[in-house]
Amino acid sequence: MDLLAQYLMNGVMLGLMYALVALGFTLFFGVLNVIQFAHGDVLTAGAFAGLAGYALVVRAGVQASLPQLLTVVLAATLSMAVLGAVLGRTLVLPLKGAPALNVLLATLMGGTALRECIRLFYPGGSQPQRFPALLPSTAWALGRFTLRLDNLLMLAAGMALVLGVSLLLQRTRTGLAIRAVAQDEETARTMGIDFRRVVLFTFALGSALAAFAGVMNGLYYNEVNFGSGLLLGVIGFSAAVVGGLGSLSGAVLGGFLFAGLQTLGAVVMPFASAYKDVFAFGMVILLLAWKPTGLIGEPLGERV
Amino acid sequence: MTPAPLLVCADLTRSFGGLVALDGLSVELKQGEILGLIGPNGSGKTTFFNVLTGLYPATRGEVRFGGLTLTGARPQAVYRAGITRTFQRSRLCLELSIFDNLAVGAHQQLDHGLYFNLLRRRALARQADATATAARELLEIFDPPLAARLFEPVAGIAMIGRRRVEICRALISRPKLLLLDEPSAGMTADETAHLMDDLLEVRRRFGDLSIILIEHEMSVIARVTDRCVVLNYGKKLCEGTYAEVSTNTEVRQAYLGLA
Amino acid sequence: MTAARARVRSALATLVLAVPCTLLLYGFLAAESEGKVALVLAGATLAAALGWRTGLLGWAVRASGQGGLALGFALSGLALVAAFHEDPFVLLLLARALIALVACLGLHVQLADAGVPNFAGAAFFGVGGYTAAVLGKGALPHAVVLLACGALAAAVGSVLLLPLLRTRGHYAALITIAFGLLFRTFFEVNESLGGPQGLKLGGLEVLGFHFNDDRHVLGLEWSGYAFYALAALALALAALSLVRRLERSWLGLALDAVRLDETAAACFGVEVARWKIGAFTLGNALIGVAGGLSAMMVGFIAPNNFTFQESLVLVSILLLGGLGNLAGLAVATLIVVCLPEKLQPIQEYRYLLFSVLVVLVLVLRPAGLVRRTARRSFGSAAA
Ligand SMILES: Nc1ncnc2c1ncn2[C@@H]1O[C@H](COP(=O)(O)OP(=O)(O)OP(=O)(O)O)[C@@H](O)[C@H]1O
Ligand SMILES: [Mg+2]
Repeated sequence: MDLLAQYLMNGVMLGLMYALVALGFTLFFGVLNVIQFAHGDVLTAGAFAGLAGYALVVRAGVQASLPQLLTVVLAATLSMAVLGAVLGRTLVLPLKGAPALNVLLATLMGGTALRECIRLFYPGGSQPQRFPALLPSTAWALGRFTLRLDNLLMLAAGMALVLGVSLLLQRTRTGLAIRAVAQDEETARTMGIDFRRVVLFTFALGSALAAFAGVMNGLYYNEVNFGSGLLLGVIGFSAAVVGGLGSLSGAVLGGFLFAGLQTLGAVVMPFASAYKDVFAFGMVILLLAWKPTGLIGEPLGERV
Repeated sequence: MTPAPLLVCADLTRSFGGLVALDGLSVELKQGEILGLIGPNGSGKTTFFNVLTGLYPATRGEVRFGGLTLTGARPQAVYRAGITRTFQRSRLCLELSIFDNLAVGAHQQLDHGLYFNLLRRRALARQADATATAARELLEIFDPPLAARLFEPVAGIAMIGRRRVEICRALISRPKLLLLDEPSAGMTADETAHLMDDLLEVRRRFGDLSIILIEHEMSVIARVTDRCVVLNYGKKLCEGTYAEVSTNTEVRQAYLGLA
Repeated sequence: MTAARARVRSALATLVLAVPCTLLLYGFLAAESEGKVALVLAGATLAAALGWRTGLLGWAVRASGQGGLALGFALSGLALVAAFHEDPFVLLLLARALIALVACLGLHVQLADAGVPNFAGAAFFGVGGYTAAVLGKGALPHAVVLLACGALAAAVGSVLLLPLLRTRGHYAALITIAFGLLFRTFFEVNESLGGPQGLKLGGLEVLGFHFNDDRHVLGLEWSGYAFYALAALALALAALSLVRRLERSWLGLALDAVRLDETAAACFGVEVARWKIGAFTLGNALIGVAGGLSAMMVGFIAPNNFTFQESLVLVSILLLGGLGNLAGLAVATLIVVCLPEKLQPIQEYRYLLFSVLVVLVLVLRPAGLVRRTARRSFGSAAA
């Protein structure tokens, strides 16, 4: 029972991270019908940007963990918002209308460049980096299961963020513009919506979400690695696909579905924990084969 | 006793979500007949072709062709049974040559064995020659200047030429039934008239070719079709010779927009 | 009379093409400093530009014909191996480039012909390598082992067939990406095949001939890598000729039809799934054989050799060479494999520089570096 609670907590945390990444994929796909495969590496870059921000404020003599935490989160999300918009502007928008393979390869290579930059230029970037524990370490022992305050805080923040994004899309003018572009680019343009601005804003938003997931990932595992975004990116994308690309609730659902399956795998086969990534990738393949157009989205046959 | 019809479609239905694009259509076609298929935009003409050729599975209904049952058949099986088509929006492979496009149409006649293709290069070259000859013959009928440009990419050919190439691609396998989806779209009246002459010429040479023709130009329908079927909202409105349907009041209301 | 003249013309054209290429390659491989490498590269660019502008290049390619080009490729390779007979570093580099070419040809059949993406090239290369490592120790003749490398890579690939046939575009690409990552993680955690440390291999041995040994032949001292380079050359020639023939036949046409318009192809009887399966399988087999030979030559394999990066490099080579262009593919493979080795200072940065280069090409020349040309006739007039 206690162990199960531990698994459950872990699964929910994973699910939230996947959901945040999937949200980005689904947003990009919504406005531009492209897949931005550098997204996973944006997540890593976000975590490292947060780490750099942390190093700076520590050097400036800030000791309290709350300002440190704020710096980390802001450095990560803001810099990735900018980077996301830049990637959208330089990699994705110019390739609008090019063969799908080109966009795919361009973003994959963009991601490689990011990854390599971290590995080569971040001090010690080729080795896993310790991520500081910035959240209160209060914990309550409930039998053998320890409920940790930091996990709860992260959960709350992540959920709030997801909620915030959905409110933004449903309730604000910007959200309306994004939805209009997602629905029909041409019509949105003729209605006077600045297409480029909407696209770039969406890229900034999605990338900031990924950066937040990167910080969460760092705080949760106390470690970041230049290659860790690859796995999260692939799973996040698959989660978005399974939930139906373009659908927000689908992305969140897909994220939790993946985490759930992964946790289930860990519960059923605790002896194979070394194989958990193998299992995750295998699941990506199986789920895509099973529901190539997602669980919710209706199959879109080609019009002849 | 009349001979059995070549094509029998019974109660053919196809819906997209709530939209019934083709609604219980029953049509028969005699061998050698040219049937006109007319109806306003969105009345389900193209959908009929797509269902017939197996691209969209029918929601309901049956198709029989010759002695075969083609209900639910895959596009490949429909082709092998002797039905070929053109597409409303031209679907040639633009980066391939005219010859290659026509050779795709002749898929059935070509030998796709590994041994033949990789090692019997002489025999392969002879088969390619024979295919080129067949391609030239057809092009000579429809667009003689293109016969000299056989190995040029289709991308470099004007739209009108592409439509003709597409018809040749559908004809090179010597089908029993040819489905033409607005072949004259974008052509002038003269060009359309030529195209129709050429089609009649091909039918004369091939002997027993049957055609279903989707066409908006009524003078064309009047001139070349033996019989017409009028569709409206996926349903058959009426059927008969052009003279008959064009005087039908329902048709005039629905289609010609005349009261 | 005319046949004889055509033959002379073809031979002449082959020489015009092969001699400068061989000399430039020689200069490139022999260059010992970065400056000299840059000089040779500048020379090559100049020569290519000149040949292009004057039309000489086009003429030579056309006039050589298929046989001429293959012959030129073979002779050029032989000459280079002979020239560097004692230099294991250059020979290894040459062999690696040729083996990479075979792998790229496999990808070419999949992606450029059938339009099936494969972002797990390195993984299939790895399947070949591990097969060679496991089977090479046994009693099987190594020629059979190499075939088994291809067969196993194809068999492993068949696991992906169903998912690949049910998806398209990005989704299909993602499946192969996931597979490539899965492969690497699996071999890292699975201790029975060496884990992260990998496996050692003995060298290739065919009919009692040990490829690893240096020997004295024709009055010269040959490095063992010379024999590997020759084997790689033979394999590359065979693969090139196979792919050429495939493309200039009804098979290549059917693949084109599948790639360009599945719907229209289906309406003309083309069994789309069958062709995709065939192309994917053949491609993986080629990649697997290449991986097997490479592993035997290097004598060591580890999961780290088969990363996602490497898969991306393979796909990028295809793109840089101009998707669908075999000559471009050969040139691009050579440059991408050899250049970082010759420019040691950029070794560490090669993935970074390479990825930036590919992005630039994609953004600035979306249609690819070299435009694809329509297939010419393979009727008897052209033969
Ligand atoms: N793949 C599809 N998915 C959803 N709806 C479709 C699809 N194909 C056709 N429809 C709808 O079915 C109806 C019939 O379309 P169809 O293309 O058959 O008309 P048509 O008679 O060929 O018209 P036109 O003269 O404009 O070519 C239309 O309302 C169309 O929007
Ligand atoms: Mg239509």
